Amino acid sequence: MKERRSLCVVKVGGSLLRDGRSYIESAENIKKTFVDADRLPIVVVSAAKGVTDLLIEVAKGSKKHLEAVTEKYLSIASEFSSPKLSRRVHEELEHLKRVANTISGSFDAALQDLIVSFGERISKILMVEALEHVNVRAVELNARELIITNNIHGDASIDYVATANNLEKIVKPILETSATPVIEGFIGATEDGAVTTLGRGGSDYTATAIASLLGIDDVYLVTEVDGIMTADPALIPSAKIIKVLSYREAMEAALHGAKRINPKAFEPLEKFYGSTVFIGSWRTFGTKIQRELPADLAGPKLVMHKTSGDIPYIAIIGEGVGNTKFLKMIIDIFYEKAFSILGIQSYYYRPSILVYVQKTEELKILRELHKSLFEGAKP
Amino acid sequence: MRNVNVVVMGFGNVGRAFVKVVSLKRKMIAEKYGININIVAVGDSKGVAIKKEGFDEYELLKMSELPRSSLHMFAPYGRQEVDIKEVYRETEPHIHVELTPANYLTGEPGYSNILFALRNNAHVVTANKAPLVLHYSEIMNEARSRGLSVRFRATVMGGTPFLEMLSSMKSHDIERVEGILNATTNYILTEMHENLVDFEQALKKAQAIGVAEADPTLDIEGFDAAAKLCIISHVIGKPINMNSVYRESLSKVTLKDVLDAVRQGQVIKYVALLDTQNKVASVKIVRLPKDNILAQVGGVLNAVRVKTDATELFFVGKGGGRIETAHSVFDDVLSIVLEKVIGK
Repeated sequence: MKERRSLCVVKVGGSLLRDGRSYIESAENIKKTFVDADRLPIVVVSAAKGVTDLLIEVAKGSKKHLEAVTEKYLSIASEFSSPKLSRRVHEELEHLKRVANTISGSFDAALQDLIVSFGERISKILMVEALEHVNVRAVELNARELIITNNIHGDASIDYVATANNLEKIVKPILETSATPVIEGFIGATEDGAVTTLGRGGSDYTATAIASLLGIDDVYLVTEVDGIMTADPALIPSAKIIKVLSYREAMEAALHGAKRINPKAFEPLEKFYGSTVFIGSWRTFGTKIQRELPADLAGPKLVMHKTSGDIPYIAIIGEGVGNTKFLKMIIDIFYEKAFSILGIQSYYYRPSILVYVQKTEELKILRELHKSLFEGAKP
Repeated sequence: MRNVNVVVMGFGNVGRAFVKVVSLKRKMIAEKYGININIVAVGDSKGVAIKKEGFDEYELLKMSELPRSSLHMFAPYGRQEVDIKEVYRETEPHIHVELTPANYLTGEPGYSNILFALRNNAHVVTANKAPLVLHYSEIMNEARSRGLSVRFRATVMGGTPFLEMLSSMKSHDIERVEGILNATTNYILTEMHENLVDFEQALKKAQAIGVAEADPTLDIEGFDAAAKLCIISHVIGKPINMNSVYRESLSKVTLKDVLDAVRQGQVIKYVALLDTQNKVASVKIVRLPKDNILAQVGGVLNAVRVKTDATELFFVGKGGGRIETAHSVFDDVLSIVLEKVIGK
């Protein structure tokens, strides 16, 4: 029997799940990082890499993509050399095929959700097997029974009250068996049992909702990168990992298109229990996202650019960047480097400044701001 | 704490759900009633898993994750082939739970299993209708002569205690029972009305989401609803034979029929009727005015209207969802334990 406070939530992103070997690697890391440290992780899994995209094509009627999904999952399953697992995965794929065969000409959002859900459903079965393979007792949870949503297919929102009720009922048995539960991210079901999906990045949303509704302190979102960076490293190689962000900063960044942050994921955290979210890789969880920031951590956290319509803008994100002193500093940088400002937008209550700039100067400005704000260069 | 040994035969959707529900809820039941529900053996068509001291929660959850017909692979407890004698010798069950599929020609394997259980002093809970439909009196007489119980509330409106309620209305003369007793066909009709698709398309969708079986014959030819009428007739003490139930096939309903009905403010429903006054029973495609109470029961819901010489009742609830049905089976098990096993 485990203590309730030993619970944490761990989401394993699809980019980490490529083949049988990578499922086992993830399982080993779950064991090393959590189970061996006497914690009981609730594991949230995405579909294996690329599978969701394939399934979206299947939902449009593509037989070729159905074959690709089948081949992919059967080949991952075969790596475990467990006849039981292969049969189970085969059964799920047969079911998927039956569903795919009902596709007629017209687009049916409910059917698409049902088809896409198989990506996570099978991934979950594989993850349970991988955990058992590394001697971690693991059991399946069923997102379609636990995560209740509204009926907006393709972009459903979680019904927090119904879902909290369901989750609360299984906590005790989970703690009693001390087996690591694995649940599908990204999918849920309506009260009537129709399968829904939670939209892009929905697995993060599943993870934070579970943590928040059960009052669990820590959520780990595991991906390939070590954390959220001060800028897009493809554009600015000197970008660094951001150690701490507030929910507000993270959501603001997501609003302006930051990768790896799903704004919906913060809704339960803001409304209910404010769990701490750790983003990173198995090497290190470089970024911590928490409800409140201590005063000394206020200030700019990241710079990014976004093109909306004809005029691109640069967003500088961080608690307190809307104050007059900071605004002046930014304008000074523009002034000294002779960049033109086409527009500027800032409100005292928002953790961002948006500066509309000329297309030709966009990247130059981004680099200059990053240098001044995060690399210690004097403006 | 009183240990109650339970054997489960049949491990399809309901069997899995039952095992899972027991694993999640039996601690709660133990705390509340002082009973420890011990699942000691589970069988499917190919094999059986036996653990004399009872499977623990983790084992039950792992069992429900097995692929179809592969209990024999459940190491180290799984065995090839099902020998019910061996199961009983090793586990001495108090209660037998029969969840095998219905076969209305022979009643097997449920019929033999149930008789075997009774003859070996086990109470019986069944969700399989066929043995009751074909051999109701024999089974009940066998149970009565041994002071054993046979419970089967999961067989009609499986997600509700409808049969319990009906059997408790002992002072009433029940004149008419009429309603929507089959979830699959009601779902298909609802699909046809709401999305204006033809029968085949609606059936395919029902199969895709798991509401209909791969072989839907029992549902769409009305066998399932007829069997339920037959069980209801036994419960109210006015038995009819399943063969005497007039059945229409739902596959006759075309999209044009649906459109015609809708145009006239009507809804097509697949209605089962037991009229004890006129001694007729049927499962028919009928047109109902939109505001008829049965017309408003959609999707996988079931509904029954019971008319007695004293009153009229209306009952709505989920038909055969696996989780709901598993709870009905569990409730039957618990009521037997509380009334019979502990009382002894």
